[in-house]
Amino acid sequence: EHEDQVRVLSKPKADPTTEDNDFMTAFDKMMAENIQNRTQESLKVPQLDIAVPMHLRGKNKKSVACPTSLGGPVQPPSPVKEENTVSFVLMTKRGNKQQLTNLDVPISACFATKFREREEAERME
Amino acid sequence: EEEEEDQFYMKDLPKYACAYCGIHDPACVVYCNTSKKWFCNGRGNTSGSHIINHLVRAKAKEVTLHKDGPLGETVLECYNCGCRNVFLLGFIPAKADSVVVLLCRHPCATLSNLKDMNWDPSQWQPLIQDRQFLSWLVKVPSDQDQMRSRQISAQQINKLEELWKENPDATLEDLQKPGVDEEPAQVLLRYDDAYQYQNIFGPLVKLEADYDKKLKESQTQDNMSVRWDLGLNKKRIAYFHMPKANDEMKLMHGDELRIRYIGELHKAWSGVGHVIKIPDNYSDEVAIELKSNAGVPNECTHNFVVDFVWKSTSFDRMQAAMKTFAVDETSVWGYIYHKLLGHEVEDVVLKCTLPKRFSAPGLPELNHSQVYAVKTVLQRPLSLIQGPPGTGKTVTSATIVYHLVKQNSGPALVCAPSNIAVDQLTEKIHKTGLKVVRLCAKSREAIDSPVSFLALHNQIRSMDSVPELSKLQQLKDETGELSSTDEKRYRALKKQCEKELLQAADVICCTCVGAGDPRLAKMQFRSVLIDESTQATEPECMIPVILGCRQLILVGDHCQLGPVVMCKKAARAGLSQSLFERLVVLGIRPIRLQVQYRMHPALSAFPSNIFYEGSLQNGVTAAERLRKSLDFPWPQPDKPMFFYCTNGQEEIASSGTSYLNRTEAANAEKLVTRFLRSGVKPEQIGIITPYEGQRAYQVQYMQYSGSLNKKLYQEIEVASVDAFQGREKDFIILSCVRSNEHQGIGFLNDPRRLNVALTRARYGIIIVGNPKVLSKQPLWNHLLTYYKEQKCLVEGPLSNLKESLIQFSKPRKLIN
Ligand SMILES: [Zn+2]
Ligand SMILES: [Zn+2]
Ligand SMILES: [Zn+2]
Repeated sequence: EHEDQVRVLSKPKADPTTEDNDFMTAFDKMMAENIQNRTQESLKVPQLDIAVPMHLRGKNKKSVACPTSLGGPVQPPSPVKEENTVSFVLMTKRGNKQQLTNLDVPISACFATKFREREEAERME
Repeated sequence: EEEEEDQFYMKDLPKYACAYCGIHDPACVVYCNTSKKWFCNGRGNTSGSHIINHLVRAKAKEVTLHKDGPLGETVLECYNCGCRNVFLLGFIPAKADSVVVLLCRHPCATLSNLKDMNWDPSQWQPLIQDRQFLSWLVKVPSDQDQMRSRQISAQQINKLEELWKENPDATLEDLQKPGVDEEPAQVLLRYDDAYQYQNIFGPLVKLEADYDKKLKESQTQDNMSVRWDLGLNKKRIAYFHMPKANDEMKLMHGDELRIRYIGELHKAWSGVGHVIKIPDNYSDEVAIELKSNAGVPNECTHNFVVDFVWKSTSFDRMQAAMKTFAVDETSVWGYIYHKLLGHEVEDVVLKCTLPKRFSAPGLPELNHSQVYAVKTVLQRPLSLIQGPPGTGKTVTSATIVYHLVKQNSGPALVCAPSNIAVDQLTEKIHKTGLKVVRLCAKSREAIDSPVSFLALHNQIRSMDSVPELSKLQQLKDETGELSSTDEKRYRALKKQCEKELLQAADVICCTCVGAGDPRLAKMQFRSVLIDESTQATEPECMIPVILGCRQLILVGDHCQLGPVVMCKKAARAGLSQSLFERLVVLGIRPIRLQVQYRMHPALSAFPSNIFYEGSLQNGVTAAERLRKSLDFPWPQPDKPMFFYCTNGQEEIASSGTSYLNRTEAANAEKLVTRFLRSGVKPEQIGIITPYEGQRAYQVQYMQYSGSLNKKLYQEIEVASVDAFQGREKDFIILSCVRSNEHQGIGFLNDPRRLNVALTRARYGIIIVGNPKVLSKQPLWNHLLTYYKEQKCLVEGPLSNLKESLIQFSKPRKLIN
């Protein structure tokens, strides 16, 4: 319904307060410290062995069926959003089990742009 | 049955609501694994999203997504090493396929064999960007949702995080709780959000509730004598005297009293009943109808104790409404939400096809200011209508309701703070032919009114469609009680029928508090009209508003009496300001009805000039308000009004909490007798007196000292200004009572009360009072000067009234 649009005119965003500025500083510090600590740690990580599942290989990004996904029905990619998003599949692990979920990534994300460009290039061929 | 708790629809935010702002869209929230709380990915008023604000301040790093979000319940961790530090995690896409994984920035995303495995490490993207989770991982709530949520500042976030270190269950409300002896926070003009609104009004409603409880429960009366009777419904009725029933206790029909026998002639007994009669012209007795006849010691007449059974229902409903307003975004439409909180919102014109004819069937033709009001209101989501005395407020309201129903689907909700006002409006709306249901509190079902036949409980009785219910009802009426299986069946059937009737209605009418009735809990009302809204407190008005309102019409007059708030502390903090008034201060201009049809033009002149900037026009002529045959000594024949100077002393009434003035009572009686002798009917006369002590004395005095038949005097209504609001009489006698050199004039100090008192009469008004004392108050000084200028300030016997030459006192400075 058109009537639902409510435009609130008051409350322009205020300048950051002292507390907010302190937060931004604390955020930067936390980020920097976390990265630094991580690089200085001597970590034993597993041998990297992540394969793209066969059934997702070379497949068109649209309509990915994800039989293993949890957490409710996987939303089919909405046609309206299609112009501005690219549907990816996110691989996660639950315990040792691999789990695949649809993830709409806006075209503004670098890798989504790249993917779309590459796809288009392929189509031209 | 009526003890059913309302609590069941007390709204609460779900557990996964943002602990800062309350947003609870599963797609927008993230669980902090360390502090076990949820936060949203919106920034609100800060430079980072709430979840990031929290993680930084609590030095936490691990999170889980909501199970109902697009990704399902997911712990964010590195696909390779299981690292869960969100400050280190990022996405990596496959080189050729539309697949992504989460990897920690170091070492996993930098491992050399990554490239060989079809992943593109150059495309690594951190999960947190610009102090917010990527919006496509955790949705950012819309601006509209963020505006509608709790507006928390960075400063409050800091304080809250500090508080959590000691008490992990603390909420933002705990920050704002005042100390025990602290004055409550003042009401505001504008509120950041509905949480702040609730945080300010909640404590005020609590104060008022506590005060009311204490007052009512302190009224226990012992050594009572009781007179027993049996009602038509075969229920026991107890009659007794309760001196403070009318003034301090403000006992009302439907209130509950407990009566106990403590004598020795019968074993100890106690029973509860509803008040069905309060002190009036006919007797000073109070009567209650007992809920159960079992074991009533009706052979005993002495040694009873009566106390008040205080109910928190109305206060609970106000609190519940404010909570719903805060936590449930479907409770009111966004536009109304922001407007009520005083935010600036772009104007909205509602799409509607204006009717060709504005007057509604069955109701009087509207004048042009009424038509303007109806027309304007229909196109606006929020309107205020100011109806000065006699301007046809009720007809206008009923007409608006008629058109609202014709335009929208679904029923309209029509409320007012008092039952009398609801009944008046119900009657008018019924005349338009709409299907109206009047919903009454269960405790008031026994009370008769002109619209009883529209009451839900009576409509059910006349429903023939469910013979089983009628049969059970008949059985119940005849025997008084049903077997437990029958009773169960009876209740189930009744509930079903109630639901059907309510859902089929065009309009549901009830008091503001009645709108919190559990029977309406599941219903939604797009259009809500509140009459006499200037007599309701804000939280009271919120009860009907939060049932899904999209179009709100507040009718009232902020120049007449405001809401009654007994607790001084709460009143001082602003609880006695109505929502209507606050919206006026916020710049919403009320649509004023301009033409008054009640008063003789001579009577409307002063109120119009003083209270309505002279804007009140007369819809009646002096000739139409002239009683030709009336033989009455008006000092000026063309002005049916005078101030009758009386020098009597005020005294404290026997209840100890009120005043009376014998000379004024005697003078009022003489005036009444004169009216009656010249053919005025008793029901056309009203005596207004601000004090219960005077009311009781006046009633007695007339009946015992008046020269005419006692019955005639009994039918004359004697009541307070407040009881006369919204009503009219042909002739009004106003007895001021107060007459002392040093104390104030009490109730009469309030200009709005004076306005009401002066605007009840249609044909004539007489003020009985002490000009010397009253003239100390600036507004009264004004009024007295006006009467003097009109040559209507008189003294002496009625048969020989003379202009008074009394010198007025110098008025004190106007305080407000
Ligand atoms: Zn939040
Ligand atoms: Zn890793
Ligand atoms: Zn707002």
